[in-house]
Amino acid sequence: MSYLKTRSIFAAIVLAFASPLLAGDDPRHERHELMEGVGDAAKPIGQMLKGEREFDADVVMASLETFDKAAAQFGELFPPGSETGEDTEAAPAIWEDRAGFEKALATWSDAVDAAIAANPQTVEETKSVAGPIFNACKACHDDYRIEDE
Amino acid sequence: MSISRTLRALAATIVVLIVAAWWFTRPQTIAEADLPDHRADASAGERIFWAGGCASCHASPVNGKRAKGDDKLLLGGGLELETPYGVFRVPNISAHTDDGIGGWALVDFVNAMQRGVSPDGRHYYPSFPYASYARMPVEDVIDLKAFLDTLPSVAGRVEAHSLGFPWLLRRGVGVWKRRYLDTEPLTPGVSPTLVERGRVLVEGAGHCGECHTPRDRLGGLMRERWLGGAPNPEGKGRVPNITPGGENIAEWSAADIAYYLETGFTPEFDTVGGPMVAVQENMAKLSAEDRAAIAAYLKAVPAVK
Repeated sequence: MSYLKTRSIFAAIVLAFASPLLAGDDPRHERHELMEGVGDAAKPIGQMLKGEREFDADVVMASLETFDKAAAQFGELFPPGSETGEDTEAAPAIWEDRAGFEKALATWSDAVDAAIAANPQTVEETKSVAGPIFNACKACHDDYRIEDE
Repeated sequence: MSISRTLRALAATIVVLIVAAWWFTRPQTIAEADLPDHRADASAGERIFWAGGCASCHASPVNGKRAKGDDKLLLGGGLELETPYGVFRVPNISAHTDDGIGGWALVDFVNAMQRGVSPDGRHYYPSFPYASYARMPVEDVIDLKAFLDTLPSVAGRVEAHSLGFPWLLRRGVGVWKRRYLDTEPLTPGVSPTLVERGRVLVEGAGHCGECHTPRDRLGGLMRERWLGGAPNPEGKGRVPNITPGGENIAEWSAADIAYYLETGFTPEFDTVGGPMVAVQENMAKLSAEDRAAIAAYLKAVPAVK
């Protein structure tokens, strides 16, 4: 017991010095936070599409801009060495098939750009531009995210 | 009584027991004459195809990944299900006459789907969820066959299952069926029309309970914990409790459930994950009414804590 404890403390110290990933700007944390923000931004749009929330074009645009910013940064947050740990849900496929991952991201980013350009003013318009965005979310999660359990 | 008479009596008893066991475990089928007079409708069968998720197991994997889009209609099999009983290999159910089921009579198909018996009279293992499909209206099964007949023929046979002892003794499935195969509704007493429509989909073709209900040591569903969540049959983690009593979706409204089945988004706007991805894609192909019915049923089932 005490041997194990000593050993794990020692391991923690070694890791703390050896791994830049454990510093404050751990990309595994950053990308997690970024995705949480994307989910939070998607929620009001979804609620409007479901009829649970009053339509508000400004809220939709704010969400789309959140997506846009996230899409611009997201690809940078998967450097070598961040494949595992910290409960990351990133799938090995991100590193094994980088081109496919970049393409999936581009699909998302393009759909967001198109939605911003369309500047939707009604629920119907929002529905038609949000569809490709949401499908891109799902398609990328399906191939490049693992289940957290 | 002499020793030789005792031995003879013992031998006779053993023979009787073997014959009785053979009789007890015999595959039981539906006769052709008992099929209803139903005009098969392939387009109605397509609904059942998606509700039943046939493609999720039977569509041949593409480059080691699950089939997507139109590849879901190529039912050459080949997926391997790794379970505690061994590896089940999903067979070819395409319209190919030799390698698939193109040569089957309608009654063969009904017996496979609803009695778990192959055309040559052997038991199928319940990894093929016929214990759920037994609850389908037989007309739906007939329509499904008509739809499958319209799909492409795919050549190639899949290898046999690799199972451990005692599971490799196929005849033993007859014992399992005595205990777990019947056609009675699992949730009597929930009968408004929409809920009933959902019941038929969830308990029958949809075979939701095969993953969402825990199993006992013989692999039978624990009906008192119907849809109450279960260990993942293929690996780590848990399959969620989808009754109103659990922590997973108890707070979702019926509209949330229907929306999730349609789009794959949870009320928190996370996306569907794991094996449910393929299921959700199938559910998205059903009508809004079917999804509303499934949601209404899931709100009506007994809460499992």
